[in-house]
Amino acid sequence: MAAFVPYTYFQCPCSDSSTLAQSSGSNSPSSAHPDPDDGGIDDDSDRAFDPRAPRSNYSLYPLEYLLYCEDCHQIRCPRCVAEEIVTYYCPNCLFEVPSSNLKSEGNRCTRSCFQCPICIGPLAVTSIETKPDPNLLAAPDSASHSGPYALTCSYCNWTSTEVGIKFEKPNSIHAQLAKLRNGGTSRLTAKERKERRKDPAYTSQRAAAGSERESSDWQEDLDLETQFANLKLFYQSQLADPNSADHGLSSLGDLGFSSPSSLSRIMSIYTGGSLHDKKAKSRVGAMREALESDEGLQLADLDESAAISRLRQEGYDGTASTEQLLEQPPNLGEEHLHGRARFTAELRPIPYLLRTKRSKRCPVCRHIISKPEAKMQTTRFRIRLVAGSYIPSIAIRPLSLSGAGGSFSSSSTTTVPGAPLEPLKPAHFLLTFKNPIFETVKVTLGTPARTPGRFASKVTVLCPVFEIGANTDVWDEALKDSSGSDRDGRRRRGKGDEGGGGGSGGGGLTNQIEVGKIWERGRNWVSIVVEVMPASLHLREDEGDLPLREEEDVLEIPMFVRVEWEADVGGDEVGSAAHGRDSKEAREKRELAYWCVLGLGKIRRS
Amino acid sequence: MSRRPPRGEYIETDTGNKVARKATLVGTQNIMLGGKTVIQPEVMIRGDLIRSIQSSSSSASGAAPNNTAVSIGRYCFLSRGCCLRPPGRLYKGAFTYMPLRMGDHVFVGPGSVVQAASIGSHVHIGARVAVGEFAIIKDYVRVLDGTVIPPNMVIPSFSIVAGQPARLIGEVPEGGHEAFELRDLYKTVGNNPQPAPS
Ligand SMILES: [Zn+2]
Ligand SMILES: [Zn+2]
Ligand SMILES: [Zn+2]
Ligand SMILES: [Zn+2]
Repeated sequence: MAAFVPYTYFQCPCSDSSTLAQSSGSNSPSSAHPDPDDGGIDDDSDRAFDPRAPRSNYSLYPLEYLLYCEDCHQIRCPRCVAEEIVTYYCPNCLFEVPSSNLKSEGNRCTRSCFQCPICIGPLAVTSIETKPDPNLLAAPDSASHSGPYALTCSYCNWTSTEVGIKFEKPNSIHAQLAKLRNGGTSRLTAKERKERRKDPAYTSQRAAAGSERESSDWQEDLDLETQFANLKLFYQSQLADPNSADHGLSSLGDLGFSSPSSLSRIMSIYTGGSLHDKKAKSRVGAMREALESDEGLQLADLDESAAISRLRQEGYDGTASTEQLLEQPPNLGEEHLHGRARFTAELRPIPYLLRTKRSKRCPVCRHIISKPEAKMQTTRFRIRLVAGSYIPSIAIRPLSLSGAGGSFSSSSTTTVPGAPLEPLKPAHFLLTFKNPIFETVKVTLGTPARTPGRFASKVTVLCPVFEIGANTDVWDEALKDSSGSDRDGRRRRGKGDEGGGGGSGGGGLTNQIEVGKIWERGRNWVSIVVEVMPASLHLREDEGDLPLREEEDVLEIPMFVRVEWEADVGGDEVGSAAHGRDSKEAREKRELAYWCVLGLGKIRRS
Repeated sequence: MSRRPPRGEYIETDTGNKVARKATLVGTQNIMLGGKTVIQPEVMIRGDLIRSIQSSSSSASGAAPNNTAVSIGRYCFLSRGCCLRPPGRLYKGAFTYMPLRMGDHVFVGPGSVVQAASIGSHVHIGARVAVGEFAIIKDYVRVLDGTVIPPNMVIPSFSIVAGQPARLIGEVPEGGHEAFELRDLYKTVGNNPQPAPS
């Protein structure tokens, strides 16, 4: 079992509809709580937060996933932000795709970028003619060879020749593949289809097939694209034909499936409005449906005997998995799907799905809170308001007893990180809060005395109120770095100013666990101790206790964090406004409060 | 401070590279280090696998042949037991190796084998990862432990990939960019290691 890694998740206010409404009503959180001094936790404790509630799954995020709206002064999460696509690009060839192409060509790369239908590895264009040298695993250099070519997987060695697909040219594979059916037969264009009908050999074959079965049953096999084209043509002619009205159930009026107006509405969804016919709107009545394959009629082929015999032959291993089928793009060159068994041997190369760069808007005030540069090649952002630049991060580290007299040292030397917690034995954890903003902040913490859920562990935050120094200019830090001493510019500690500092210097630490005292403090960070008494996971199944649920053995502490600071009035850029700190006259109180969850460790099962 | 007679586990160069004495660097003259890079013990870098056919542009201009086999940027961290090996292939009928290029702030986890053509900056490659020949990894990519990246695969920026073969499992969030910085990690190793910051 993998070692447990402590975690901190923050709750986005969007999970609570009342807070979302509140923040939209008042842009400043300090106005929502006019008096932050009267015990910040109390007025929120009546709606204590249960991290195990099913709802909580959707609102808890690691800090790096959260954004921050400077206008609402609120945390925003991936669930509530509104995304807008800035750029489409192919993840394989990295070409940008103009959004105009998307409508015509779809959301997949139309160059030569394909994924393996078996293992989703990338496919390379290789020449078939040259015998592959077993000593060389490297990709052959296609430039020096001539066709035919195949797509080959560099991971599982699948090749498109397995489904009978070869290409004449090594480039524009997508266009070539669109004309090829599995097995190598080319797909007929509409024109070729018409010409084939004129061919006497084909006509006699058709007649023979028709006489064998009942003649009305005979139909041409249409692939999806052709069927759609035929149907579209048929309906178009129906819409244009004024005589098509009024035979059938006109009582359904415009709601009928065969009414011209609902048809044109549905068709415009699929064809981008090209069928939208103003005249059709005025007509009420039904049209007839397609009656033959030229009109797009395709009867279901319910004879599955071929698939069954094949299944007998190839067995389960020959069938495609659900994942493989899901990866398959809708293939327009394909025949109808009725009664079609899906075998791995029928899977086709998957053109790469395009990826996007997206900007994000605040759901409440609609301001943009994240916006990448449009160019695919650059990783820069025009706007990137991440929560980590506004709210203190919380790092968790176990502390363990190293000798008598309540003297402790960091676990990095004494205990294995991620080791299970002993039930009913007090354990200590060091929480380090790091302040990202350029103002000193006051932090107030609130936790329930007992964790929610079936197994209530006792929780005590030894120092629930403290101040963290401002995140001073980065150059100060850089200068200190280069001088090589006084890392992080520590000023004072809770106890024991000698030694390497709690948890980091290793050995010889004399910090005391004392209520109300900070464990250790640095330039813009503070470490405090939280004491837990893990619950026993003992279950009395004879008394009807349900067995342990997944993750129920994880000791999770809900913690309410209130951060207060003073900022320049109008200085919305809290995270970047280092200037004007000395102009004292225009300061206002700011406040931000949110729930988080600290995952400390797994309790040993009894 | 690096003037002391070298006795520690690491050799610290003028440009701040920390190279473990127990690392195996073959063909050192073909390995370029940008500086402040950590190479842990049992790392192997195959600088001997140089290009045997010069690219047409440099041979035409008559310039001195560029024999760089592996180039590594600044603040890279090569963990214990990983291997950097230039990829090789047939080029105009003959077999040749091609250079392996790596940007800044690239972490390569323990036991991983890298045969990429290029790796961008701010890339985290986990433990026991295999990066296939001529793979291209762009900036801000996280490769989780045990991933197998097939040869020739391209991984665009802000991807999180995992699995065998590698597949996209997520995107690096906006707030996750800073986590790729390796300056602090650089300080934690060497002959005078400093503890990790809180
Ligand atoms: Zn949200
Ligand atoms: Zn592409
Ligand atoms: Zn494959
Ligand atoms: Zn907003």
